[in-house]
Amino acid sequence: MPPFIDVDVVLRSEGHTLGVETLNSPAKLIRQAAGQDREAFSQLYDRFSTLVYSFAMRMLRVPQDAEDLLQEVFVQVWHQAGRYDEERGSPEAWIMNITRSRAIDKLRSKRRMEKSFVLTDDPARAESTENVESSAAESETRLTMNSALANLPEGQRRVLELAYFDGLSQTEIAGRLKEPLGTVKTRMRSGIHRLRDLLRTKAT
Amino acid sequence: MATAHGYWQEQSEIFALGALDGQELEAFERHLASGCEICAVYLRDTRETLNLLHHSLRPVTPAPGVKDRILRQIADDKVLPISTARPKQPRRWQRITGTIAAGIIGVVLGGTYYNYRYSVYSSVVNLLRDPSTRDLPLYGTGPTPSAKGRFLWNESGEGHIFATDLPPAPEGKMYAVWTIAQSSAPRYVGRINTDPNGQGGLHINFPRSEKPVEVFAVTLEPHGTTAAPTGPMVLVSKPS
Repeated sequence: MPPFIDVDVVLRSEGHTLGVETLNSPAKLIRQAAGQDREAFSQLYDRFSTLVYSFAMRMLRVPQDAEDLLQEVFVQVWHQAGRYDEERGSPEAWIMNITRSRAIDKLRSKRRMEKSFVLTDDPARAESTENVESSAAESETRLTMNSALANLPEGQRRVLELAYFDGLSQTEIAGRLKEPLGTVKTRMRSGIHRLRDLLRTKAT
Repeated sequence: MATAHGYWQEQSEIFALGALDGQELEAFERHLASGCEICAVYLRDTRETLNLLHHSLRPVTPAPGVKDRILRQIADDKVLPISTARPKQPRRWQRITGTIAAGIIGVVLGGTYYNYRYSVYSSVVNLLRDPSTRDLPLYGTGPTPSAKGRFLWNESGEGHIFATDLPPAPEGKMYAVWTIAQSSAPRYVGRINTDPNGQGGLHINFPRSEKPVEVFAVTLEPHGTTAAPTGPMVLVSKPS
């Protein structure tokens, strides 16, 4: 496979409108996939599968579930490649948005199911499920030391993680952290602003 | 304008995180749907910023078999062209040959249907013969408390689900069958149709999970829902 140059991502990171496209840019691969080009789709998979799978593992934590999600995401990418609109975001943001939406659906339905069965069936299991969540929360920081999140204050990092990786809503986060909703919102927004600054710094 | 958009831009940040909920979510979606270009651009920009978060994760490479599965799945997909041609009136000889062809097709389809039914019956008989097959009762719940069912399944992942007193799914909906392993997301394994008498069945070969399946459930879903259950449970292997 020829070396891949992410010119479009770099341009977008710097705030430019896409004007240059490399031979194998993800945007071009998506367009080719929309025309039923399986080779282009295969290259697209090679380019993004690790990112999608790592994210799926972080959110769902079970390899089998993460593989299922990876499969569903790329099948959706294949079917909806024709709908991708470069004006609405980079290919990576589009694919990761699909990934997150599907992962959140799975997480929420899993919680609903667990709640339903746990509360009605077996109180002992309710406790064990809570333990699973706690231990998962403790081990959730599989992040590199240089990560963007590591640069954030603890309070901001926590709310961003709970929203982004655990699929919790602002109200659920406020309940879990026992913090006022306003505080949670402020931390989220401050965290995003810091990430935005970091992105700008990286780009310059 | 700027002040008004200060509020919406704040909302778009929380929306991009997926954390906006309740009435605030509805209001923001309405605002976005009204065609606000400022918020659309800001939302796109925020999503690009949030890409930083998943780049901070330790990379985990998926098993090579997943790519093969996906490529096989899309290879099976067929794109059918939509015909815009006006239907022509058939001529007499076309009507005659058409009638004969329909008869032949009817016989072939009848035979195929019979073969299909026979293969389903033999699969169920084989399941019943298998000493490792388990017989699990299914209980009606949610909108169909009087529904009942049975689920025959073995450890190799073959199973057959029977439903009784389960009314046919309403227009645009379907009954989706899910397996749920411990601490795993529900997995879609197929859809079940019932006749006007409430009878239905589905033979299933579901992939083996790393963890044992704990619960089988049937939910009422909009057509095409396979990612995760969203509708009410109608049959479940544990009584609620």
